[in-house]
This record gives sequence, structure tokens and C-alpha cells, in this order.
Amino acid sequence: MTDARAANPLRFAFQRLRRGWTSGELRVLVLALAVAAAAAIAVGLFTDRVRLALEAGAGDQLGADAVVSGRDPLPAQTYDAIRATGVRIVMITTFPSVVAREDGDETQLATIKAVEAGYPLRGALRLAREPFGATEPAPPQPARGEVWVDLKLWTHLGLRLGAKLQVGSRSFEITRLIAEEPGRSGAFAELAPSLLIRAEDLADTGLVGPGSRVQLSWQLGGTREQLKAAEAVKLPDAWKFTTPENARPEVRNSLNRARSFLNIAVLATILLSAAAVALAARQYSQRLRDEVALLKVLGARRAFIRQVLVLQVLLLGLIAGGLGAAVGVGGQSVLANLAAPVLKITLPTPGWLPLPAVLALVLLMLAGFALPPVLASVESSPVRVFQRAADPARGSAAGIVAAVVAIAALLWLQAGSVKLAGFVLGGALATAGVLALFAWLLVRGLAGVRARGGLSWRFGLGNIARRKGAAVAQIVALGVALMALLLVTVVREDLLATWKNKLPATTPNQFLVNILPEQVTPLRAFFAERGYADLALVPMVRGRLTGLNGQEVTADSFDDPETRRWINREFNLSWTDRFGDDSTFLQGKPWGPEANGKPWVVVDEYGVERLKLKLGDTMTLDFAGTPLTFEVHATRKINWDSFRPNFFVVAAPGVLDAPGLSPPLQWITSFYLPSEKRALLRELIREFPNVTAIDLDAALNQVRSIVDRIVSALEFIFLFTLLAGLIVMMAVIEGSRADRVRETGVLRALGASSRVIRQGLIAEFAVLGLLAGTVAALAAQALAWALAVGVLELPYGPRPLLWLAGAAAGCLIVTAAGYLSLRRVLTTSPRVVLAGGGA
Amino acid sequence: MSADAAGLKPAVIVAENLTQKIVSGGEQIAILDALSLRVTAGESVAIVGASGSGKTTLLSLLAGLDSPTAGSIMLAGQPLSSLDEDGRAALRAGRVGFVFQSFQLLAGLTALENVMLPAELAGRADAEALARDTLAKVGLAARTGHYPYQLSGGEQQRVAIARAFAAQPEILFADEPTGNLDAATGSRIVDLLFELNRERGATLVLVTHDLNLAARCDRVLRLRAGRFDD
Repeated sequence: MTDARAANPLRFAFQRLRRGWTSGELRVLVLALAVAAAAAIAVGLFTDRVRLALEAGAGDQLGADAVVSGRDPLPAQTYDAIRATGVRIVMITTFPSVVAREDGDETQLATIKAVEAGYPLRGALRLAREPFGATEPAPPQPARGEVWVDLKLWTHLGLRLGAKLQVGSRSFEITRLIAEEPGRSGAFAELAPSLLIRAEDLADTGLVGPGSRVQLSWQLGGTREQLKAAEAVKLPDAWKFTTPENARPEVRNSLNRARSFLNIAVLATILLSAAAVALAARQYSQRLRDEVALLKVLGARRAFIRQVLVLQVLLLGLIAGGLGAAVGVGGQSVLANLAAPVLKITLPTPGWLPLPAVLALVLLMLAGFALPPVLASVESSPVRVFQRAADPARGSAAGIVAAVVAIAALLWLQAGSVKLAGFVLGGALATAGVLALFAWLLVRGLAGVRARGGLSWRFGLGNIARRKGAAVAQIVALGVALMALLLVTVVREDLLATWKNKLPATTPNQFLVNILPEQVTPLRAFFAERGYADLALVPMVRGRLTGLNGQEVTADSFDDPETRRWINREFNLSWTDRFGDDSTFLQGKPWGPEANGKPWVVVDEYGVERLKLKLGDTMTLDFAGTPLTFEVHATRKINWDSFRPNFFVVAAPGVLDAPGLSPPLQWITSFYLPSEKRALLRELIREFPNVTAIDLDAALNQVRSIVDRIVSALEFIFLFTLLAGLIVMMAVIEGSRADRVRETGVLRALGASSRVIRQGLIAEFAVLGLLAGTVAALAAQALAWALAVGVLELPYGPRPLLWLAGAAAGCLIVTAAGYLSLRRVLTTSPRVVLAGGGA
Repeated sequence: MSADAAGLKPAVIVAENLTQKIVSGGEQIAILDALSLRVTAGESVAIVGASGSGKTTLLSLLAGLDSPTAGSIMLAGQPLSSLDEDGRAALRAGRVGFVFQSFQLLAGLTALENVMLPAELAGRADAEALARDTLAKVGLAARTGHYPYQLSGGEQQRVAIARAFAAQPEILFADEPTGNLDAATGSRIVDLLFELNRERGATLVLVTHDLNLAARCDRVLRLRAGRFDD
């Protein structure tokens, strides 16, 4: 390159890149960028797919793309305006009514839905001919005079196909059983039994007239634009527009929470990758200084050199971005496969939305961590060609500013919220600080064990002791990644096992609910016959809070969303004359026989906190129209781990069950059922068909399988974090490669066999990995302890096995990675140590 | 000239028709061209020549650091061509010492550990005693625990000389031993090198530009274009 003035910077940049590719620093730089990009793309694409699927899936839950609802028919003007947007509309009239079997005496309160053709607009309505029988898609609506009933109604009334059901003043023939209906799955199912009739039959029932309690809803279906237009139609106050977004806050919250977790893992990966990029770029710029000095001597202008370097960095970013995108797209499908069994939804094909964000990420990392050191080399003086000492490297304040700005921007870009970004940065700094302190102490401690080994051992450990700063940096980078992996794998399992071990073997695993008062005695007898002599049945009534200390309250009286949800519906409470060992009284004392008939309640700390209660406060509760006022007699903390029925609010005996007062009442109980005795449940359901058994084991397993999936996804992303940690290690290794080559040459010249040199290398990385693993295990253990003692209230002691696992994992991974990246050094010819170098 | 030295002492280095060729720009260049050499026990030989004359290549071949394109070398009675890389290293361990131009101390090891290195590689149990003794001889008894970066250039080269002699090698190769030192320090180092060599009776082969240094050897061989000057 003798005439830089005439050269094309892009061609020059290409040429330099091709030649420079053999240098380790550039490869480390590209790898680090690619890993960060891959992790970000994998999570970005995956969460975006879930979001899209949820939007469609939530539509299924709603039965429509959107729903307008109210108590009265929509004003004609509004209805026409909505219709004019082009959306499809299906109207449903819903109301409660008592229905009866024509050939029997039984009656049942049921939810009646009169639907227009096309119900539901989204999701599938499936019918069956018998309970749990084969299902078939439903026709657009029931035929005239026909009714489809759900399983609850079928069971309660003992129905069959062809039987007649009296609804108001009209008789309907039962033609199908509803097997699946949008919006009625899982926890969102309506509690009352329900049935479907054709809208045109509604008038014949005579049930709907002025003053009747009907709920009208208009299901809307259409394109995004049509729905947007429909949403823009101004509705009078009495009607509500519901979209999938605001219909399923709990699903959205779960997705947001999962995304936060995954983003923390991605952020950890990005921060480590950024460190590797900065290290590699710094080393590269050291080499660049000689080259730049020479180019200047040969007549290259600074502007030209700068252009070449910027172009070169951009080309590197492009390569890394492409590589990361390819790996990331593969990674998101791994995440999608992991999540598929839990999500139970088909994910749409990935969109391109997250890709620009990832391009921004790569550019930011380059601008913040690679460009400043690389561009600083432009300042190197031509005199360097003769005398390096005349051109010392200067630290650049601009470089530090760029790095800080880039970190802030990266965190904001990936976290999406200043709070999460701050939390991650604070957490990362604190973790890195603690790990660095640990690492420093351990590295210092090596001096003691160093002298006690053979040559290879001393040589290997000498390498760590000599490059203390680098060793600490490597240990911290790897330690963070290993700690994260240990936390989500070993520690999580350990905490779960600790919790399970704490529970007695006979902890109840079955709940029975919906026990009618008249079934209490026969049920006790049923269980006594089967060896359960002391089945504890607990009464349960539902009440709504209407007043506190004489003041009327509604959900709007509270700001806290959780309290609002709690107050907004009826909650369960009970009465008792004694408290078990699962109650710890915080204020006041448990009552004795004197409490009988007194309007007293004991409130759990959850209720105390939500309602800001203190002893002596009064609570007015409404029981199906009967208000009762209680005084807070004591507060307690419930140990929910007992798995016995418990209530936030418990009244004294003789009040709710006083003669003349009969709020709707059911009894519940819990018991332990060994798995070999599960046949008991079948007999129970045969004898007490209305009683619902809830299998806690199954419920816990279901929760666990969801958690497991989220954790697997996290583990997967943390593998990228580990990769980023290993790349930091590689960056540090690259910085020492020239020294290592020379030293290997010396050892060879002095007669060291390749075995001795190999052992030295293995000793160095085995100890480094051991330290990183130990630091990670200690930190994970400390976090687990804080979690166990502070949050979960579990006894938790040291876990030597965890340390062993961490140390062993660190040792293996780091030795393998270190050995692989330096194996070429082992074959260094001893000639390199002679004055002529390798020539 | 025939590189044979007259006398009855056994030869410790015998090179016959040594040729080293490299390919550069598609063309074969002979760095060493069929040269022969014989060095007897206890002899000191200086190899001098201009830059690029092949001095360092010859040294690396004689010490078994590299293999020749053609020809044979016997080192300490062993034909090097029959040994692989590790075999040659094993032959050097403890029997061959080196002094390098740029000291080549291992930065992770202390002065004492650096000096112990050859004796340890030879599997000698008295490595530490030998090292301490030799370090005392070069005047560094008080600096055994220092790392290379804590020593001056002259001190580093003294450690390197101590390392070269500590294992009591039969043969010592020195590659521009004063090349990185100022004149005064260089001269002191050369005195030390010859004093120890006399005391230990090792065979010395050194490569240098410095004709004064070369003149202190028993024999001076001049290399030009891959051959010894007649």
C-alpha cells in the first residue's frame, strides 16, 4: 500500500480484513458479537411469536377478535357505525334461569346463552354425544327447539340425549353435549352449568322481558384495520369494548414475566460479550498501532486510515450479525419447541420485527466497545516505526464515555424498561464485584499451593499468578455464567426438594369441595369405613366485603390492584371453634368457648395488609343479601404448607351458622391419599357425584411442568451466557498468546517434552476453571440461602455437593475450552526463541 | 575449510553435509549448503557471519531445535535424525544449555525456578541446590525469589546464564548473548560466561556479530552464504 491517496477505502478494508482474519482478536470479536446477537434474536423472535399467537389465542378465549358488551341493546346509531366498519357481528344473550328436566323433579340454576348463527366467531365449539365421548365440530347454531348442554348441567340433572328440558315456558330437546367452548377452559370456566339455544327461540321462553337480568354481547370478527375502526366507534358509558389484550391480563402478565427472565439472561450474555468485544478490540488496536504508524510513514492520510478502519469494523459487524442471526433463528425454534407443550398453541412463523433491533444491538456494541480503541490507533505516531517507546498508548476518556453510553443504551434496548435495565446493571455490578473479590482472594491463595507441585503444576499456576488481573476477569466472566446455570438447575431442584422434604409424608394431596351440608355425615361415614377416622370437614360460605369500620367500601376504595380483585368478588370464609398448629397468632389470642355467638373474626396477615386492619376494626360482610358486621379479634399467619383448608377470614362459631341465618354453604376437606388407594376416588364420585375432588399432586405437577419449561428456556439462553463467558476467556487468552508461544519455545529448547508443556497448560486452565466454578457455586449457594431463609422460610445449610458440582463443571468446561484454543501453541517449534525468530 | 579440530578428544557435535533449504516466492533458497562441522568436548567455537548468512539456522539445527533438509547431525553421541521432536527434547534436557539474546526467562517463574528448570526437566532431585549454587556464582543469591520483571536487563541475562549452567550441561549454545545489552554490561556477562565455562568444562558453541567476543573462543568459523569461509 504505497499510494494510499489513490486507494479505495472499501477495497482496502476488505483486503485488510481478509489478511487480518488469521489474527485471533478479530475472530474473538466476531464470535462475541455473534453470540450476543444470537441470544437476542432467539429470545426476540420467540417472544414475538408467542405474542402473536397469544393475540390470536386470546381471540379464541374470547370467542371473537373483540367483544362489545352491555345490559341493553346497543343504540341503533352505534350498532350501525360498528357494522359499517365491515366487521362480522354475532350477538349473544346471556342470563341465569332455573331449568328443569321434564320427566323429573330436579331443577338447576343455569346460565342460558341464546346465540346467533356463527357462534363462536373465533375458536372451536365442539360437541359430543356422551360425557367424554368423541367430539365433533358444532353447526353454526342449534336448530329450532334444540338445546346443547354442558357437562355440569348434564351431570347435575342426570340428562341424556333426546331428553326434554324445560327452559322458561318452552321445552327443548337435548341434542348434544358441549365438549369444548371458547372461553370456558381451565381456570376461566364459568362456575354455573350452562346451555346454548338458538337466538330465535329466546322469545318463546318468555324469560326475557323488561327488568330481566340479561347480559348482551356482540362478538366482533374482522381484519386488524376493521377492528381498529370498530374500537374507534365511541360507545356510550354503559357498554364496554373488550379486546384480547385487555381480556387476558393474567396471560399477558405471565408472558411479560417470562420475557423479563429471558431478557435478564440475554442482558447477561450481552454484557459478557461486550466485555469480550472490548478486550479483543483493545488487543487488536495494539497491533494496529504499528501498522498505522507504517501506513503514515508510507504516506497514508489519517482520514483515509479512519475510513478504512470504520469500514472494517462495519464489515465485521455485518459478518457477526449474519452469523448471529442464523444461530438465533435456530435458537428461537429450540425455545419454541421447549415451550410448545406448555403453551398448547401453534406459534405463527417468526416475523422480521426483532431483526432491526438486533442490528441496532450489534452496531451499538461496535460503536461502544470496538470503534473507540480501534480508532484510537489512528493517533499513533509515525516515529513508532523507529522507536515504540516514543509513542506510548494513551487512555481515552472518549472511549470510556462511549462504553458507558453503549451499556446504558444496550440495557434500555434489550430490557425495554429503565427499571429492569437498572436492576440488571445494579445486579451485574454487585455480582461482578462480589465474584471479583472471591476470585482475587482465591488467586492470592494459590501462592501457597503453587510450590507444592511438579514443574507443570508450578508453571501452570505461575501463569495464573502472573496474570492476576486477567485471571480475575476470566473467573468473574465464567463465574457469572456458571452461577446462572447452577441457579436454574441444581439450586432450583435443591430448593424444591428441601421444601418437599420439609412437608410430612402424609401432607394432604386431595381436596374435596362442593360438599353439601346434608352430605357431611354420610361422607364422614364413607371415609371412616375406609380408615379415615378423623376427616376434618370445614364449612365455607361466600361473602362480599361491603364496609370497614362503618364506612361503605367497594373495589374503588382501594388503589392496590390485588386488593381490588379480592374485594371485587365474593371471597370464601369459614368459622371455627379452635385453631390448629398451622396458625401463628400475630396479634390477639385464639378464642375459646366464650367466643360462641360473638361477631368476631380472625384475619390472616394477607387480609390485614390488604385492608390495613388492626384489632378492634369492624368488617361488614354481605351474605346473599344479609349484612353482618364483625370485629377483628385477632390476626394470624397461616402456614399454607399444611395443605389443610384455610381462610383469610375466619369467624367465631354460632354466628354464620346461627338459626335463622342460612347463607349458601358448602363444606370442604383435604386428606392424604396414597397413590395405591386411588380407587377410593372412583367410589367417592359414584356415591357423591356432586362432590368435586381436586388432585393436588396433579395440580402441582402441572404447575411444575410449566415452570420446568420456562427454566429449560432460561437454561438454553444461559448456555449463550456461558458461551459469552468462554469468549471473554478466549479474548484474554488471545492477549497472552504471543507470550505463550515464546515460553513454549523456551521450554522446548530447554528439553521439556510436549507432555510437560501440555500438563502445564491443563493445570493452568483446570485451576482457573476450578476457581470460576467454586466462585460460581459459592455465589449460587449464597443466593439460594438468602432465598431459602429470607423468602421461602426453609432451613438451608451448606451444600458441599453443589460446590463440588460447580468446581467440577468449571474445571471441565474451562480446561476443554482453554486447551482447544491453545492446542496450536503446544506445537510451537523451539526455534522461535532464537534471535532470528522463526525465520 | 574442514571444520575438524585436530586432537584426540571425543567429538560431541558432528555435522555432515548439512543442508537447509527453504521455499520463498516459489523458489528454493539454500540457507546452509552441504557444510560439515566437528566440535570436540570442552572446545569453544564461535560462529560469525553477516545477517542472513545462516548462523542462527545452523545453531538451531546443531541443537536439534529444527531438522535439516539433508545431512546428518550427531549430538552428544546420538544421531538427531533418529529422534522425533520429543526425543530431541529429552536429549537436550540436562545435557544442553542455552543462552539467548533476549534472555527468554519465563515470566511466571522466579529467578530460582527459572534456573531450576533444566535440572528439573532432566529429572534431577538436586535441582534446587544446583540452582541456588549457580545463582550464587552469578552474584544473585539475594534475588532468588524475584520475578524477571523485577530484575534489570543485566541481571536477567545473569539468571539466563545461571540457568544455562545449573544442570551442568555438556554442551552450551549461546545465541548473540550480548545482543540486547549495553557494552559494559555485555562485557561483564561475557566474562561470566567464559569463567563458568572454564570451571564446568562444557563445550561452547556461540553465534555472534561481536568479533571481540568471537576472538575469546578456541575457534572461529565464518559463515557466508550457507558455507564456511575457507
